[in-house]
Amino acid sequence: MTTAVPRPPLVRGSDRVIAGVCAGLARHLGWPVRMVRLGMAVAALAGGAGVAFYAWLWIMVPTADESAKRNARQPASPIAPAVSAPFAAPLAEPYAAPLTAATFPAPAGAPGGTTGAAAGAAATPLAGTVPADTWRSRVTGMRYGKEILLGAGLLLAAGILIARLLGVDVPLGTLIPVAAILGGAAIAWMQLDETRRAGLVDKTKADQAGGWARLAAGLALVVSGVLVMVSGSGSWEQTWLALLSSVAVLGGVALVLLPWGLKFWRDLEAERAGRVRATERAEIAAHLHDSVLQTLALIQRRAGNETDVVRLARAQERELRGWLYRDPGKEAGQLSESIKTAAADVEDSLGHAVDVVTVGDCAMTERHEALVQAAREAMLNAARHGGGAVSVYLEVTDGAAEVFVKDRGPGFDPDAVPADRMGVRESIVGRMNRHGGTATINSTEDGTEVRLRLPRSAGAPAGAAATNSNGEAKL
Amino acid sequence: MSNTEAGSPAPGIRVVIVDDHAIFRSGLKADLDPDIVVAGEAGTVEDAVAVIAAVRPDVVLLDVHLPGGLGGGGRDVLAGSAPLLGSTRFLALSVSDAAEDVVSVIRAGARGYVTKTISGAEISDAVRRVAGGDAVFSPRLAGFVLDAFGTAPADIADDELDRLSARELEVMRLIARGYSYKEVAKELFISIKTVETHVSAVLRKLQLSSRHELTRWAAERRLL
Repeated sequence: MTTAVPRPPLVRGSDRVIAGVCAGLARHLGWPVRMVRLGMAVAALAGGAGVAFYAWLWIMVPTADESAKRNARQPASPIAPAVSAPFAAPLAEPYAAPLTAATFPAPAGAPGGTTGAAAGAAATPLAGTVPADTWRSRVTGMRYGKEILLGAGLLLAAGILIARLLGVDVPLGTLIPVAAILGGAAIAWMQLDETRRAGLVDKTKADQAGGWARLAAGLALVVSGVLVMVSGSGSWEQTWLALLSSVAVLGGVALVLLPWGLKFWRDLEAERAGRVRATERAEIAAHLHDSVLQTLALIQRRAGNETDVVRLARAQERELRGWLYRDPGKEAGQLSESIKTAAADVEDSLGHAVDVVTVGDCAMTERHEALVQAAREAMLNAARHGGGAVSVYLEVTDGAAEVFVKDRGPGFDPDAVPADRMGVRESIVGRMNRHGGTATINSTEDGTEVRLRLPRSAGAPAGAAATNSNGEAKL
Repeated sequence: MSNTEAGSPAPGIRVVIVDDHAIFRSGLKADLDPDIVVAGEAGTVEDAVAVIAAVRPDVVLLDVHLPGGLGGGGRDVLAGSAPLLGSTRFLALSVSDAAEDVVSVIRAGARGYVTKTISGAEISDAVRRVAGGDAVFSPRLAGFVLDAFGTAPADIADDELDRLSARELEVMRLIARGYSYKEVAKELFISIKTVETHVSAVLRKLQLSSRHELTRWAAERRLL
């Protein structure tokens, strides 16, 4: 593995013997199909681990059709994308191969552990090659850290079971309570983290029930783990008694503290809401002061010059509109945004109104940058030579991105443009041709229209991403 | 707030201007061509419904954002004037070109939509067009339509309401590109009347379609 090439997504293939699992796996890993099938068969002999692994993949991995259908919304299986594209980037070179391979058999450790743990045992040494200190930053930084942690836990369980089979004495009496405490605490903390996130986003009551259930489960696990550890005996009778008394004490304390806690909580909520409102108002006031009031002052000083006033008013209108209606997180780095920015620049520099209408959208690439540059040149020409407003229309479809720039000037003959005039020939037509696109100029006495078309090249990684965002934009 | 000029059967088109800014109303009044007679004005939803019912104008120039009513602005005026929708046409005006404002008034029954930065000649033209029963599409509204219905043409007849025909798509695209109806007709080698028919058909689809995607598109932009 010399370069981090994005793997094809893990989907079940069409050339199937049973369910296409092996074929899909082979394509995803870049291994020969026969080898994968053989490996699966051998693993199946090892206590049925291969059968369990196969069944698990059959259930979890979508077919190519299903995957394509769901692609626009969500990754069909959390594991499939975790193992493919997002991995390649953050990993240091030497570890890229072992880790991607290791996360694969990891979940199989569950069934494998109970039967023979062939798959789990094979994977453990590979996972161990990753240094411990880099682990944490990676796991927290990864999108599918939870799944990977779960896999690691299952691997550990498999390892313990193997050790017991091999005759090593593992103190299960202490390990199980400790695991219960750790698990319970993890569940409770996850809950805390999520309530905070939910508090920021929205407060739907539906989520709250699940949250309480999780908190209760976490508490129960921790309490029972502590009790078993403290009582030490492991006798159920004693544990029950201790549990009962501690629950009674906790209930009494809760009864006393509940009204006070509720009141405190409500005060906190009210204060938080008030603070949010105050912050919003302050932000709006600051923005209006910085932009609108300044522009109004400028307009008053330049009241004599009509072009200046129009230009200032247009620029301010655009800015305010963007601030009020635009979703910066959603549109940043999109083609439509770049076209709008180019139009705004032309409008500012030449004082000509440029109206932009966009349909569909896609992520910017280097080729789209060329399209934007050519469109900007066309807008500059239209604003300089045409009369009245310039209309810009961007349409992004699955096949291509098209930009139309129309003015209402007297028109010109594109063939009569002298060869030394670089604007049209080089900056528009030449640039589009160099990037695999086309540019046509249609000029009549009613006005001139420049049509730019950039087909989406097949196979480019950016193309796939663009299809997604476009699909969402168009619905 | 209603200075109804009753009587005097005007030869031109009678309009009512509904906008909460008095400055804008007087500016618009001065901008309109002489054959368009302003028969009434209103500044709130309640005033507008009352004035429209009393004056029964040909065209109402309706601001999308209005105080009063149920908080829906222009939509509430359209809902209040529902019995008159057959004889009185509504042309929506707005400073905002946000999709939620535009599409909601169109779906409530307006026959067209223009932004307030439009020139006096253009708005007079739009008023005449709406009075004649046609629809007025700005480039931006055409863009919204293409966005909502998708850019692939209909191939089967039974989803007629839910998709645009190939011809309608062509017309919408040209309007989005800044073509006037006349230029669209010239480009497609059809008559202006045919262009108007196509645009009216698109307007009807936009108003009546319960297309799943359109509903979702609208819901995502908080239109419903």
